[in-house]
Amino acid sequence: MRIIVPIKQVPETGAVRMDEATGTMVREGVEAIVNPLDLYAIELALRLRDSSRSADGEGNHEVLALSMGPPKAQTALREALAMGCDRGVLLSDPAFAGSDTWATSNVLASAIRKLGEFALVICGERATDGDTGQVGPGIASFLDLPLVTYVSRVRSFGPDEMVVERLVEEGHEVLAMSLPGVLTVVKEACDPRLPTLRGKQRARQAELVRWGHQELGLAREKVGLAGSPTRVVRLHRPSVARQCRRLIAADEESAALAVRELVDILRQKNLL
Amino acid sequence: MDTTFKPVTAQIAAEIARIVGEKYVISGEAEGLAAFSRDEVAEEQYAHMPEAVVRPGTAGEISAIMKLANREHIPVTPRGAGSGLSGGAVPLHGGIVLLCDRMNRILEIDRDNLMAVVEPGVVTNQINEALKPDGLFYAGYPMSLETCYIGGNVAENAGGGKAVKYGVTGRYVTGLEFVTPTGDIVNLGGKLVKDVTGYNLIQLLVGSEGTLGIFTRITLKLLPLPKASVDLLCLFKTAQEAISAVPSIMTKGGVIPTAIEFMDRTSVKASCDYLNESLPYQDAGAMLLITVDGGDDEQVRREYEAVGEQCLGCGATEVYVADNHTTSERIWKVRRNIAEAFKLVSPHQSLEDIVVPIAAIPLMVAAVDKIAKQYDVNIPCYGHAGDGNLHATPVMNPAWNLATWQGTLPKILHELYLATAQLGGTLSGEHGIGHKRKEYVSIFLSQPALDLMRAIKRAWDPNNVLNPGKVF
Repeated sequence: MRIIVPIKQVPETGAVRMDEATGTMVREGVEAIVNPLDLYAIELALRLRDSSRSADGEGNHEVLALSMGPPKAQTALREALAMGCDRGVLLSDPAFAGSDTWATSNVLASAIRKLGEFALVICGERATDGDTGQVGPGIASFLDLPLVTYVSRVRSFGPDEMVVERLVEEGHEVLAMSLPGVLTVVKEACDPRLPTLRGKQRARQAELVRWGHQELGLAREKVGLAGSPTRVVRLHRPSVARQCRRLIAADEESAALAVRELVDILRQKNLL
Repeated sequence: MDTTFKPVTAQIAAEIARIVGEKYVISGEAEGLAAFSRDEVAEEQYAHMPEAVVRPGTAGEISAIMKLANREHIPVTPRGAGSGLSGGAVPLHGGIVLLCDRMNRILEIDRDNLMAVVEPGVVTNQINEALKPDGLFYAGYPMSLETCYIGGNVAENAGGGKAVKYGVTGRYVTGLEFVTPTGDIVNLGGKLVKDVTGYNLIQLLVGSEGTLGIFTRITLKLLPLPKASVDLLCLFKTAQEAISAVPSIMTKGGVIPTAIEFMDRTSVKASCDYLNESLPYQDAGAMLLITVDGGDDEQVRREYEAVGEQCLGCGATEVYVADNHTTSERIWKVRRNIAEAFKLVSPHQSLEDIVVPIAAIPLMVAAVDKIAKQYDVNIPCYGHAGDGNLHATPVMNPAWNLATWQGTLPKILHELYLATAQLGGTLSGEHGIGHKRKEYVSIFLSQPALDLMRAIKRAWDPNNVLNPGKVF
């Protein structure tokens, strides 16, 4: 049983600065980390692998981390290995540069197809840099697989289907999905473990598979900027217009008045 | 020493207002003053209301206030951010609290001399923020660095997390401009790496807890910012095992880490609950948080592997590695928030600051355990294990009433300090004496030593107006 976790290397969130002139992110000299939301996907995958392992002995269960990015994205894959993933595949090719979410999903889906049989693909909810949340669903549609987004809990797993809880605004949905399938997970799903010293040592020695567009059998015009139907036309900073009003409630009398006024305001704004 | 003082009358308050400007004086109304009656020591018994709070903007204004205080015999208590842990900024005899929050400029970053000149009201972390673009840093790292002021750090000779490798605040202070208790403005030292001209008054002022002078300009030595840093979180079955690993990390591992922090299970649990964090503390009796920093990734990797292997050899059940800012912050946050978390567990506790020689740490932890059992209280232990500085914190037994606690705590502390002294340790490593620990000083300082200190205080402050009632 194989679980595949596509991950992304992103700039460290605390250190991100924007170039005011171009409206783009300054990536030079900024520490690169595994997209923090992907850590939950890795953790969930490792837990499912480990519980499957203990359920049927030392069967052939593995978690494979997959990342598309420049050569230095291998650091992200090694971090995933240090946390306990079994193998890493780096999808790196100058031709991939400038990919939008469609082209990225296509490359990742092609790699997953090439890897052969698998039970599950687990993605983070979204990447903290692009913030689209489209790649997980994109992979599912390229592979023509069932998809559950915003998964907060796995109730049961395998062999032919899994039952998950999906976090929605009003509460939880409980869904059964046939396998193989794709999940995107939210923070509530689990707490990611820290990489260990032994894991780090293993990860440093590990050999990563590296594939480009040729290995994936993708035409050049189907990847990177050329294969991306979307274009960033303009970036702008939205202006934030917050109106703050303070209702002072110092004693019982003014509290009653303040509550009444608050109710009025909420009514006017159609919030009650 | 004379501790009878005159009140801050309306007339004196008006004179103060003439010195600093009316809007920089708070007096009269209790509401505005109450915030300056305490520092981070929570217990009510250590608080005392000031009569006026003054916020001077220059050394000249401070000088005028000190001259007025001497003339009128009014006590003056200097105050930084109020994040102290021994009551140093509490106006024990009322009078004037002198706040240095307006003197908050970084005056100079001298790249050629690797020095910075700052005013006392600069938040410590801001110094490093300002230095970062130049690839420099100031090595002081108190746990409260996001709020505390550099002036307070110098007054208390603050230590903190990085003292194992980088030492404490005093190592980096090479120059001081300060106002004496009698109101003279004095300059000492400068941007000098060596200076033996006359007595080393700078290092006498460092850690003088606001009793000998009020700093107005501080010259700090800077270091090149380490290019790589990795944190290890090492889990041990018992506190004894964890603490026993500390000396061997440095002696056998051949590496001096930047920090070695010790946290027992009670401490980790409290902080994790507070932060909603999920470190795997359940199976670990204690953890060591170890930082290694250096010039490049490869050097740091070799060193952290050596330290990690040393820990595994000493019985660590797991060693976690954090080599990026996000993960490092995740574990350091747990360490930094322990004190805050314990305040929620129980407001009745006493954060202690004992230090012992590093080889004696395992014995000290055992002694703390014994005292905890004997008095039926929890004494969680955490702190800077790498330099022997342990924040043992007796916490009130929830079954007790407050009177029982207040009656028992002095006995617990007395035993704790006797055990510390027996191991060649001392009362405070970085929090200071203030008035919180004053009555225990004589366990650690001989009569002649105390006499010398009192003689110095009398010579510098003949009218005993600057922060009276502190230290001894």
